[in-house]
Amino acid sequence: MIESYLIHLAILICIYLILAIALQIAVGFSGLLNLGHIAFYCVGAYASALLALAGFPFWVCLIAAGILAMLSGFVIALPTNKLRGDYLALATMGFSFVVYAIALNWTDLTRGPLGLPGIPRPKIFGFVFSDNLAFLILAIAIALICFFALKRIASSQFGKVLEAIRDDELATRILGKNSFKMKTFALGISAFFAGIAGSLYASYITFIDPSSFTILQIIPVLAIVIIGGLASFRGTIIATIIIVLLPEPMRFIGFPSSIVGPARQIIYALLLLLILLFRPKGLFGKVELE
Amino acid sequence: MVFTQLFVNGLIAGAIYALVAAGFSLIYSTTKFVHFAHGATVAVSAYFLYFLFSILGINFWISVPLAIAFGAFFGLICNILVYEKFVDKKASNVILLITSFGLLILFESIILLLFGADVKTIGFIKISKGIEIAGAIITPLQIFIVISSFVLLAVLWFFMKKTKLGKAMRAVSDNKAVAETLGINAKKIFNWSFVIGSAIAGVAGIFVALEQNLEPTMGTNLIIKGFTGAVIGGIGSAPGAILGSFLLGFAENFGIWFLPSGYKDAIAFVILLVFLLFRPTGILGIKREVQK
Repeated sequence: MIESYLIHLAILICIYLILAIALQIAVGFSGLLNLGHIAFYCVGAYASALLALAGFPFWVCLIAAGILAMLSGFVIALPTNKLRGDYLALATMGFSFVVYAIALNWTDLTRGPLGLPGIPRPKIFGFVFSDNLAFLILAIAIALICFFALKRIASSQFGKVLEAIRDDELATRILGKNSFKMKTFALGISAFFAGIAGSLYASYITFIDPSSFTILQIIPVLAIVIIGGLASFRGTIIATIIIVLLPEPMRFIGFPSSIVGPARQIIYALLLLLILLFRPKGLFGKVELE
Repeated sequence: MVFTQLFVNGLIAGAIYALVAAGFSLIYSTTKFVHFAHGATVAVSAYFLYFLFSILGINFWISVPLAIAFGAFFGLICNILVYEKFVDKKASNVILLITSFGLLILFESIILLLFGADVKTIGFIKISKGIEIAGAIITPLQIFIVISSFVLLAVLWFFMKKTKLGKAMRAVSDNKAVAETLGINAKKIFNWSFVIGSAIAGVAGIFVALEQNLEPTMGTNLIIKGFTGAVIGGIGSAPGAILGSFLLGFAENFGIWFLPSGYKDAIAFVILLVFLLFRPTGILGIKREVQK
């Protein structure tokens, strides 16, 4: 009993880690305050779920989820590329609402509020990851691949240019870097990995509906990024574990789920406010939000 | 007669959005940061009215001013307890934006915790038969909402133009440093703009509570609309925000002529994106550094 609960938490940590590291690329490394990250997660989850239900193998679903999410990332990056910090945040947040409205209303495709049940568990070389422990191993493997891929990207020359754009966009442009193109790529990469996280989520829970992708869901992810510290991989891992585990003791006290849900959001929101006030750089952050 | 009905619906929606946007815009123009939790003010006032009138059973005409006052008080507390601390630390606009977003989610969750997720109705005004005007049906309450919004917005305009406090607010909004050297206390002006803006949001909350119903997410929905209205019209310009809100109300209601009604909320965002992209200063906006 307790084992399966711990496995469940570990899988959630893997999914949130991918989601948060992906957001780090946009917010931490490129300085693009993207509040529409959940939209990419949503696109990935729906793309993966629909393909899996249509009988496609897991790895096709996973990659397609990433690519479709990346395309949606380009869709939002192109029109908002010149916007400043707070305006960009609001525009991306608006995008998140549009994607949510589409998930809710395009009933022919998404079945709207009824959601998509019966999403098959991943199957690789004939092995079905129906057991949660097996799924955890798969989740850890995917999370590790994403983690090191993103770390590689962040420490590459491209990643350095992104950091330069974050710190001084004008100067970077003077050096001959096309900041417009770089920022678009950064958002695309960030969206790609958010889509992967969405695919993993859909195939783990085996049911998705639009309520998992409301604007509220950005709060824990944003809290992880800010608490961990901008552009810090180590901080993101620690913050992911903190954020996923923090509200869990409430379950042992035995609160009903109607209290646990809002109470979780209250904890996350309070934590976010306190860290912004007292330690805006987060645990291991290198830079502050501008 | 679909046209006149959609026009009337747009007018009612626009009137409520305009109240939210005017308060939001007033706060933005003096403080220069996005007060997202303005949506929470709307929801808090509406739920406070529900608490006083429907749960405690206090007389409606006493409950209403108390709910508006509570909204104003709530906005003031947000500023004093939270924003002022950040402003003193010279936090960037982005930090203030996330803070206000966090506050919005915080209070939405608190309302959810206290009152539950189910939809509540105030039920003071019995559903009355609508009056038919040129083929459109409008209830007396809706007429009252539209007229009182116009009156309130006119009073706000008069207040900003003619009174000493309104002039001081405009001075701070125009140039805070100069206003301060002339002996205007900017902190006090910030507090006043929160009080006045939040009181107007409280009125909007009560109208929504009476006309539609109460849901914990109402604040988020309304601030998005109010914000969109403010951006369309020109953020930081109260007449612009009002104009933009009415345009948004019409666009949403005429939009569902072509699209399923579920997309009503998405229309607001598409308009928001278009304006942010092509005319971020809004229709009447003052030129500001929106773009880098």
